[in-house]
Amino acid sequence: MPDDRPIAGPARGVSPAAASTTPGGRPVAGTVQGAPRAAVQATPVERPIADTVHGVPPVAVSTTTTLVNRTGSWKYIRPVYQDKVAPCNQGCPVGIDIEGYMNLLREGRTQEAIELLLRENPLPAVTGRVCYHPCEDGCNRRGFDDAVAIHAVERVLGDLALASPLPPPAPRTWPETVAVVGSGPAGLACAYHLARLGYGVTVYESELEPGGVLRYGIPEYRLPKQVLARELERIRALGVSFRCGVQVGGELPWSALAEHHAVFLATGVHRSRPLGVPGEELPGVRAGLDLLSEVNHGLRPELGRCVVVVGGGNTAMDCARTAVRLGAEVTVLYRRSRAEMPANEEEVFEALREGVHFEFLAAPVEVMGEERRPEEEALEAIRASFDEEDARRSALRLAGLRCTRMALGEPDASGRRRPVPIPGSEFLVPADTVLCAVGEEADADALPEGLPRDGGAVAVDALGSTGLPTFFAGGDLVDQPHTVAYAIGSGKRAALGIDRWLRIRAGELGDGTDLAELRYGPAGNVSMTRWRGDDPVQRVAPLNEVVTPERINTDHFRHAERHADRQHPLEQALGGFDEVNQGLAPEEALAESRRCFNCGVCNACELCLIFCHDIAIRRRGDGRFEIDYEYCKGCGVCSAECPRGAMAMTREGL
Amino acid sequence: MSQILIKDRIPREELLDSGHLACPGCGAPIAMRLVLKALGEKTMVALPACCWSIIAGPWPQSSLRVPLFHSAFETGAAVASGIKAALEMRGDLETTVIAWAGDGGTFDIGLQALSGAAERNEDIIYFCYDNEAYMNTGVQRSSATPWGAWTTTTPAEHPEMRPKKDMLAIMAAHRIPYAASASVAYPDDLVEKVKKAKGIKGTRFIHILSPCPPGWKIADEESIALARLAVRNRVFPLMEVENGERWRFSVDHPGEPVEPYIRRQGRFRHLGDAEIAEIQRAVDERWKSLERRVQHGT
Repeated sequence: MPDDRPIAGPARGVSPAAASTTPGGRPVAGTVQGAPRAAVQATPVERPIADTVHGVPPVAVSTTTTLVNRTGSWKYIRPVYQDKVAPCNQGCPVGIDIEGYMNLLREGRTQEAIELLLRENPLPAVTGRVCYHPCEDGCNRRGFDDAVAIHAVERVLGDLALASPLPPPAPRTWPETVAVVGSGPAGLACAYHLARLGYGVTVYESELEPGGVLRYGIPEYRLPKQVLARELERIRALGVSFRCGVQVGGELPWSALAEHHAVFLATGVHRSRPLGVPGEELPGVRAGLDLLSEVNHGLRPELGRCVVVVGGGNTAMDCARTAVRLGAEVTVLYRRSRAEMPANEEEVFEALREGVHFEFLAAPVEVMGEERRPEEEALEAIRASFDEEDARRSALRLAGLRCTRMALGEPDASGRRRPVPIPGSEFLVPADTVLCAVGEEADADALPEGLPRDGGAVAVDALGSTGLPTFFAGGDLVDQPHTVAYAIGSGKRAALGIDRWLRIRAGELGDGTDLAELRYGPAGNVSMTRWRGDDPVQRVAPLNEVVTPERINTDHFRHAERHADRQHPLEQALGGFDEVNQGLAPEEALAESRRCFNCGVCNACELCLIFCHDIAIRRRGDGRFEIDYEYCKGCGVCSAECPRGAMAMTREGL
Repeated sequence: MSQILIKDRIPREELLDSGHLACPGCGAPIAMRLVLKALGEKTMVALPACCWSIIAGPWPQSSLRVPLFHSAFETGAAVASGIKAALEMRGDLETTVIAWAGDGGTFDIGLQALSGAAERNEDIIYFCYDNEAYMNTGVQRSSATPWGAWTTTTPAEHPEMRPKKDMLAIMAAHRIPYAASASVAYPDDLVEKVKKAKGIKGTRFIHILSPCPPGWKIADEESIALARLAVRNRVFPLMEVENGERWRFSVDHPGEPVEPYIRRQGRFRHLGDAEIAEIQRAVDERWKSLERRVQHGT
């Protein structure tokens, strides 16, 4: 609606006879035009009408519009545009503006979508593959048809990022340098963000190549080494330097890091918890993590025919599926039922698909050995000639695990029901190898002295500070779920914490940071974009509140099937360590992004404008909208019809 | 696209001004706004007594940017026919002339004039924006008031006991070239039907369901949602009838239960489960009959 229309302008509504003469033209009040009644003429004749002497036309003719009525005074509540937070953003342990990149992708702005993703996540091609996507758990689309396949879209964007040219080195803004100890996901994330913030960063890694659990823990069939290698290239390109093969706290003392202004500890957890049953020292009983590391180093150890994995977490699933690929028949022993398994549901599903057998509600009581059988002695002798120590220990060989059935009792501290043994229910599971995957803990000896501890974990504040000067920590060292996404998120928090601490120390920043405002929603991770204050997404009166399903008007959406990841055929998958999950094609990811509701953020669908009966909503030049409160009567239809909860009704005058 | 995006299907031209006097949440100005968008500025409106007599503004105002003629209650179709004849005499064959009447001026008081115009196949588009009672005068029942509804003349002790008159079928029975039902909750469907009607010569009739928050006793912001529910639950199916014979549905009608639609409206508050079941039965029955018409013609 043009704004330049006069309030008391020419007549709009006039008698038909008055207006018909000049189609599209505006008759002037008091000079009603007419035409001879009988004649049909192409050119109407204008003539004055006698009754206009007193300024009154022969019939009542409007001379003004209703714009003189400021109907906005009727309202007691008013609509406002108010962007909010999508539940996926809050649910992401990394703290990614998922809704933001979905919207950019939907608009075909793929490069901007990738850049928005890379603002928060240094390893999208990795997390797109291995993250268990808690973002999707909160997806408001879940109750409508099915959650958006966020992980698959992230993976496609991550792969596109890997195919893009490497970024230029990040400009060095600050004089300080930071040491990052450990090059797993937490360390890489911290290094990446600090480099982008303008610090000099050196990553110390005890292994010969960087990557930590991404390289030596996660099996190749979930995360190809090539993907990790290319992600690392991008981090290197920013100017992060790596010193590999150096054990800090070992040959390099902690004091050697004093040249740096801050240290981020992300050495992870490596020490497998013992089974705590007799016979554990028998040959053939191994730490699951060691097996994963060995296989990831390219070795293919002999496990025998029967392999038993003890534990129900993701490490147990990795061990089981790795053992399957090494040719074993695998049984997973878990003391609770499937519902209580800490492993990700998809991992369990994949393990089942690959033929892993599960014994639920079963716990080991004793590892059983037996005398070596004579027919095997020749083989053992050959093996012994390669490994003397093994030969000495191998008086016995593994026979199996004596197990007991369990029942679920009262809930324990974790809220899960505590398993208790059922007396007299023991049974034997034959095993050539037993893999322990009942949890890992940090190697306390390898950490600097005096670190505050919280149980087994290193105690840190909300931004990763240990309280010990210069030392920050993250990843599996601290008390949080041991997943890649949480590790990356903690690395980002620590990068923010280190930046903040160094700037405060340099007297360039007050300590009044409002952490709550940096988070995506009250419970989300911090946003690097918010910390830097350079959000490329334009937001209107943003409220740090998560959009609930009730705020979504699903009437405006069609059902659309979620795009399922393509899987490598089973027989090929089991033949080696090829990546099992093949993800989505880029065009499928684009289609998936269109399933996104864009919760809480206006994407200019214009329904508010279309349904405004007061014609009080207008497009602005910048693609946003404005409400003319002079005329808006406050009916609330715009807010009720907004498909994504990006509007709200507020009390008038407040 | 998962969201049903309609912005590109709604013309951007505005021919209705702010400051009109419709109650907050009223469906009628949305209906008028969308219809004028579809027809364009070469349009004239004959307006018998109805809510819109007020909405258009008191003299000397008009909220329309096209000519509008206020006429007597029973004369909507006759006045529109006359304007069209006058325009034709003057050589203007381009301007679209419409009658814009409420349900009272269509179903009851203006029915004779409408029937006459349709029978003569006058070259007009007759719009009925239907809020299912005489809302402007304080909610008296009309023959468009649905069964079971409260109005001031059908109080809860004696609610409306006759079914809503089947206006679309009456108009179809006149064998006019085009008749349709539309809803303010389906703006794209409404605009498409109006554009289609504009391109047809002869009498065209479009019946638009247009909720009235005070008369239906609903919250202002619910009007569009309820209009949408009425389509989804088949209370008000969106249809097109060509030449009185070819009936078709123009949108999906999933056939959701009527109960939420009824329960959300204060005008039905006195109804119990049995009455609601009766409404459901009537809706289902009518739907079957409409399906037969769609499949086999009249």
